Amino acid sequence: MKKTHIVLLVLIVTAIAVLVSEFGNFSTYETFASASKQAGKKIYVIGFLQKDKPMEYDPQKDKDHFIFYATDKAGNMNKVIFNGEKPRDIEKSEQIVMMGYEDAGTFHCSRIQMKCPSKYKKDMVVEGKSS
Amino acid sequence: MQFIGEHLRPGQLGHFFVITSFVAALFSAFSYFRAVRTEQTDPLASRSWLLFGRSGFVIHVISVVSIFAALFYIIESHLFEYNYAWEHSSLSLPGKYLLACFWEGQEGSFMLWTFWHCMLGLVVMRTAKGLETRTMAIIALVQVCLCTMILGLHFGPHIQLGKTPFILLRHVMQDAPIFSSPNYMNFITDGNGLNVSLRNYWMVIHPPVLFLGFASTLIPFAFCIAALWKGEYQTFVKPTIAWSLFNGAVLGTGIMMGGAWAYESLNFGGYWAWDPVENASLVPWLVLVAGLHTLLVYKSTGRALSLTIILLLLSHLLVWYSTFLTRTGILGKTSVHAFTGDGQALYYHLLVVIGILLLLVLALLIWRWRGLPRIKTEEETLSREFWMFIGSVILFLSSMQITLSTSIPVWSPLAKWISGKDFAPPTDPMLHYNNIQVWVAIITGILSASVLYMKFKHSDGKVIAKRLGITSLIGLVMAVAIGWGQHITMWQYDIMLFSACFGIVANIYYGIVVQKAKFKTLGPSVAHLGFAMVLLGILLSSYNKHAISFNITGEQINFNKKTAQENLVENSENELLFRGVASPMGEYQATYVNDSESVKGKDKIIYYNIYFEKRDPKTREIKEQFFLHPDAFLNSKGEAALTVNPSTKHFWDHDVFTYVNVIRGGYLDKNRTDTISYKSNIVNNPGDTVLIMGGYMIFNGLDRKVSDARYEPVDSDLVICARFTVYDNKDKPIKDIAPIYILRNRREILHIEDSVGILNLNVRFENLNVKSPTSVSTEIMVKQTDADYIVLKALVFPFINVLWLGVIVMVLGFFISLGSLLSMEVATR
Repeated sequence: MKKTHIVLLVLIVTAIAVLVSEFGNFSTYETFASASKQAGKKIYVIGFLQKDKPMEYDPQKDKDHFIFYATDKAGNMNKVIFNGEKPRDIEKSEQIVMMGYEDAGTFHCSRIQMKCPSKYKKDMVVEGKSS
Repeated sequence: MQFIGEHLRPGQLGHFFVITSFVAALFSAFSYFRAVRTEQTDPLASRSWLLFGRSGFVIHVISVVSIFAALFYIIESHLFEYNYAWEHSSLSLPGKYLLACFWEGQEGSFMLWTFWHCMLGLVVMRTAKGLETRTMAIIALVQVCLCTMILGLHFGPHIQLGKTPFILLRHVMQDAPIFSSPNYMNFITDGNGLNVSLRNYWMVIHPPVLFLGFASTLIPFAFCIAALWKGEYQTFVKPTIAWSLFNGAVLGTGIMMGGAWAYESLNFGGYWAWDPVENASLVPWLVLVAGLHTLLVYKSTGRALSLTIILLLLSHLLVWYSTFLTRTGILGKTSVHAFTGDGQALYYHLLVVIGILLLLVLALLIWRWRGLPRIKTEEETLSREFWMFIGSVILFLSSMQITLSTSIPVWSPLAKWISGKDFAPPTDPMLHYNNIQVWVAIITGILSASVLYMKFKHSDGKVIAKRLGITSLIGLVMAVAIGWGQHITMWQYDIMLFSACFGIVANIYYGIVVQKAKFKTLGPSVAHLGFAMVLLGILLSSYNKHAISFNITGEQINFNKKTAQENLVENSENELLFRGVASPMGEYQATYVNDSESVKGKDKIIYYNIYFEKRDPKTREIKEQFFLHPDAFLNSKGEAALTVNPSTKHFWDHDVFTYVNVIRGGYLDKNRTDTISYKSNIVNNPGDTVLIMGGYMIFNGLDRKVSDARYEPVDSDLVICARFTVYDNKDKPIKDIAPIYILRNRREILHIEDSVGILNLNVRFENLNVKSPTSVSTEIMVKQTDADYIVLKALVFPFINVLWLGVIVMVLGFFISLGSLLSMEVATR
């Protein structure tokens, strides 16, 4: 066996090992219920803004603190704390993708992506602060 | 129905040329193919097929240029009856952005790609000599595929082949009632306009360069296929090296221009975010550079031919794949670029094209695989080819990791079907990619520093050890000094720092001492030097990139520097700036001075004037002062989303980078209220608190002794003041105030207000209510002006110029190599 082949083999095995370990790192789409089973792990939840529930946002007090309620695709409602500025037009969103983790019944969210109803409007991503 | 006011001629001409270009490319590909087939059997026929092929291609080029001209005429003359002009341009758009409109849309960017293939094809046609028939057959074939993208032919109600840029608005929106009146053009007076975040000079120059880079991957691809087809593996080497060098330089420039654009004018907060679109352009470059290196190995030693061909073929296929990723909308929710896909038609169309090219490549490779020349003996460990080979494999593996992670939305349905898990993109892409790619940077950095010291086939170990010993030692000293000075504490990045410093030192030393600075031979060492500088620039600017808004110095989200505890601290990197109030920002005091409106138009851009000054902490002398003008834009289509452009102040050793995140008041805020009323508050005992916006006031008690210049004592007065201390949000006392209450002649009540400018706060001592000798309640009226404010994010990027300089040096290295290769070619002729 040639030396090149051995090195190649070692590199490829390492690469495969890295890739396999990556699979564990990849995030997943969850519901609020399944997110609460893996509390603390950062995941995505696809859901909808609960429009009849109050939203709390006071930029004068803390501009990176926005509280709202969302329903996931399974229909469960959950309180969400977004540690970023309140995304403009979130009231008009059709669907929101929230990235964050579940902790004690509250979803701590650090990125929101909104799907907007108008076809002339591009979807919007809002980044919160890392938490 | 006869419509009034339409200009149909340019569109008809354009469409005619679209068809012509397609047919001509098809004819050219077929003729070149016939020329190859008859090469041996009938040289005379082969010659005429060759001439047919050439003229076919020339006609194709002329048609493509004409399509370009027709479409540009439509945009430039504001013919809004055409969907493309209506969708991407508007009357108020400055002339320089008309080109940007051209390639904003899907069809236009495919046109740009086609156009560059034409130009490159003409050069190949004149220079490829013995390989012309085969390379041109491939180039023409790819052109056929590309032309189908803009054909816009319908087969039945559901199948559409391509999308023509010359389609009329009334055909796109057939159901809209406006198009039932023949004079509909009277109502369509203006177009939709160019996306504001794209109204930028980068949008004019970046796409052509990037697309030239993408397009030039076709040429090494065509040469490799030609070599396989011919079964002859010598003549293709030189032109392929030359084209790969050109390709590496142009695509590298294009990618970094994208980075510079993102940095200068988009609010990603940096020049690289591992965004799918960025990755999609980086991956072909990595694979191409790997292929270039193994090709050099092949040229000097005869080894690594099969890997070379695979890499160079893959590089072009990956360009198609990246088109698939970024244009079909498959990435959808994962990219900040948020490309809206053209839906299913383009999705399957691109899949078919990729499938055809992939089948062609695989068939050729399988057919020729056993016949590829190989060398049976082993290479020495201390040889250039061995380590170049390893470096190339690592670049390739790195590109595969990026591809796999970027393609999550592509393979996740399959993974869900197998494992039941619904995979999503990494929640922190920076961390995800950096953790792996830092090792690629380390290894390739060290290899690019040391590999030149080795010779092909056989090298003298002692000489190498001595030279590398000296340079690595200097590199180590440099790394320690920088690591110390810049507080780079994570060990992986310390190794990367060493690798970059070693690369810089070793390549300078090699160029000057070993190569005696002979310009023609300097290409590789200059390119490697540039690469090492890029690594150093990335490390310094990103590792210590920090927000100065809200005074967090050195805090960083990128390179997982945060401990778990620090992670718990929710900190903000945005600062609220009231108009006219100076706030500390890092070493600076920042003031939102005012804002100004751009040219009158329906799309107003507001420029915010932010004044920065830095004073000497002791003498209070101003050491530095400058203005930044980040802007914000609210779309006239009633879209409430704020579009912003950052503004950056460049210093030689760092950049201050700012953008506006939230605005209130000023031109853009319709909900602004100017009527402000006083709010009543009652305090009873000292220690009572009154809440105000931005802080609170503590009641210190009533006082008969009034010392205020505004009050002139009158004998009969009962005068009393209420003392308060005003604190800000951070519990810092700002000011003591004492509004005054005066009872004159036992009848008349007078007030003297006190105020705190920084909070726009006015306080009035309204009334005194004596309930008992020990209990007095005081009514305090508080008014706070709703000041205009912006929320600003300010970041400092240290030593980012090292990165830009490194890119320039690296591209220069590519061009030096190309220049000396071409001049050698001329000399041997």
